[in-house]
Amino acid sequence: MGDTLMTVVAIALAAVLMFVFPLMTMSDRTDDVSQLTVKTATTEFVDDVRTTGKLTMDKYSKFIESISATGNSYDVEMELKVLDENPGKKTTQAEPNKIGENVYYSMYTSQILDELQNKKTRSLKEGDIFSASVKNTNSTLSQQLKNFFYSVTGNDTYTIAAEHAGMVTANGIGK
Amino acid sequence: MKIQNLAVLFIIIILPISMILTSYTQNQVKTLGIQTSYDTKLNNATHDALKAFQLNTMNSDTSDLSNSKLRDIEASANTFFNSVASNFNMAGYNQDILAEYVPALVYTMYDGYYIYSKYTNTLDSTNSNEVIVNEMTGETDEQSDAEILSNDREDVTYKQNQKLAGLKPYIYYSCRYKYNGNDFVITYSLDNYITIQGMINVNGEMKWVYDAGYLLDNVTGDITSSGDTYYRGVKIDTSESLKECIDETKKEYTYIKVNGVKYYQNDDGSWFSILNGSRYPQQNFVTQTNAGIKYYREAEAFKRRITNDYNLGDLNASHAVDETGASLVELDANGNRTNIPKLGNYKIFDFGNMNGTSIEDPNSNFNQQRLAVIRYSIEKNLSIAIANFNDYSGVTANFQMPKLQEDEWDKIVNNVSIISFLQGLNIGGKVYNGYSIITNNKNEEVVSEDSIYIISKNDSQYHRANDVELKGKNNLEGVFNVDLEIKSITDANGVAKYFIPKQLNGNLITGSYSSIVNQTGVEQTDNLYQYMANLNTQNPRLAQVYFTALGRERYSSYKTYNDPEKEKEKFTP
Repeated sequence: MGDTLMTVVAIALAAVLMFVFPLMTMSDRTDDVSQLTVKTATTEFVDDVRTTGKLTMDKYSKFIESISATGNSYDVEMELKVLDENPGKKTTQAEPNKIGENVYYSMYTSQILDELQNKKTRSLKEGDIFSASVKNTNSTLSQQLKNFFYSVTGNDTYTIAAEHAGMVTANGIGK
Repeated sequence: MKIQNLAVLFIIIILPISMILTSYTQNQVKTLGIQTSYDTKLNNATHDALKAFQLNTMNSDTSDLSNSKLRDIEASANTFFNSVASNFNMAGYNQDILAEYVPALVYTMYDGYYIYSKYTNTLDSTNSNEVIVNEMTGETDEQSDAEILSNDREDVTYKQNQKLAGLKPYIYYSCRYKYNGNDFVITYSLDNYITIQGMINVNGEMKWVYDAGYLLDNVTGDITSSGDTYYRGVKIDTSESLKECIDETKKEYTYIKVNGVKYYQNDDGSWFSILNGSRYPQQNFVTQTNAGIKYYREAEAFKRRITNDYNLGDLNASHAVDETGASLVELDANGNRTNIPKLGNYKIFDFGNMNGTSIEDPNSNFNQQRLAVIRYSIEKNLSIAIANFNDYSGVTANFQMPKLQEDEWDKIVNNVSIISFLQGLNIGGKVYNGYSIITNNKNEEVVSEDSIYIISKNDSQYHRANDVELKGKNNLEGVFNVDLEIKSITDANGVAKYFIPKQLNGNLITGSYSSIVNQTGVEQTDNLYQYMANLNTQNPRLAQVYFTALGRERYSSYKTYNDPEKEKEKFTP
């Protein structure tokens, strides 16, 4: 009797070891690679927008395409901080580069996408700040397996995330 | 075998594999992460350098002059290294150590470029062309510099053959052409301005020609005296009265700009210029400038000289030769010369093209040649500089020039830009090899079509020229975008004061929200000349103001070719 129980336990253990464990490691690696792809794509996308000053539908779709190629679904958030120097100019005798003198106002993902859909392109200017952040919205295989052993709950249970931001260095209009 | 044993065996095999795989992927992830973060940091450092250059030149009264420009560029290079040092967590390393990893920095300017790189500091060892009279003793010194140095001098800091990092001599965007006995060099620039130097057959006689000017099609009307001059059917203003502030008091002075220098008129009618915050009295000038119309008239005269006097109408891009006089051709895979011309095969001065392309249009033959020459020159000199860097750097890396993308070249040949290279840094299993190109169109170096902003006087706002909001407006003024930037002056007590030169009767002009702050109300066009010409029927005043301002700012910018005294004479009453 005891022997049979041991065998059942051993088989169960072996099954976990021989199937679930390798699966977990491999799916972990897949997530690593996805993470890498997403991080690289995000940095490249933001840096491209930053150095050319142009945000186009084309660039955005290419970015979405390359992160979707990892097989997960993502929530992409963009923020564009538009520099408004006019208030700074009006304050007489203020140091123009002092922090706080320059005003930024923000545009967020939906506004940016609306504009991209209408006009296909959005020109940024020198001094604007552009940022993008990406999180996965589905649960990846590795997350599912982990949930099998220990449940992680909550809204922000993403494993793949990347963000990048920076100041725009060129004016998008012109050559 | 029992199933338990099998499981243990399995773990023994799989565990190490999985562990190694984990650490390997993590390393790769880390390396790629470092690589992308280095790209960003290099971009940021290059932007800092460009910002430094922009700030320094904008607030300098002498930024056109080469020694002042050199100083600004040296400062910009220092900024780059400081920024690299702090960005890359290498604070404490000085410029010399970082320079080991920076094979070259390229500063592209209006008519040429500087390469910041390492060089061997050498005094010449021959005394040819040198007879130096020692003023103390009256003796003639016939030794070469190197011999003098070797004689004595323990106090000199100079060391023969020392390897230093610094700016190499300015290289012009020039190309030599040889055909029909003509042998000359054309120096191109970031816009449609060229300089021609060399032996040219002028009306049957070989002559040394040194001439320069802007290339324009479509100038019609009277080009000599007081009659009307038209560009693309738009009548150019014959004279303009310009005013701007020179300090934080909102007092506006009448000024004119000649050869890159602004001259202001006092209330008593006398004129002065400003250098480092001090005023220097000057001769009298006319109060109304006609530089705008002069630009078009002289361009038309230059066009006639090129086609009629120098007969360069049939100059072909395939006439380009290298410094030895051999034609520039493509090399095949084995490095042998082919018959394909390196810079293309088409007429360069294609005035009045059949397809309706004007010479100043972005897609003209001339522009194609201009881009090809600039690109060829930069590529050639830069690859030499980077390849030579192997001899200078103590880092064991093979320095090579990366292949730049087409769109990157497009940015370089149309704007003032900095190209930085960072190579040889170890990033865990890989060697970092990156470059960054940052361009700028807000500087005093070049007046591009985009750098003319239009002030709408009724609502005190400035706009981009292709702002849709401008279409119905008439009370306009064209201005160089640099004049709307905040400048600083240091007063006698050393206190920095800030002001914006261009104001309207003491009122500040703010940026339009449709085209300056937000650039959403701008009509996309890659040919502003054509855009304005098309607008002429709807809003002739806008086209007129734009073309006049573009002509005025281009005409009054600093040119090496110009004789400063003669330029001043043109504006003397």
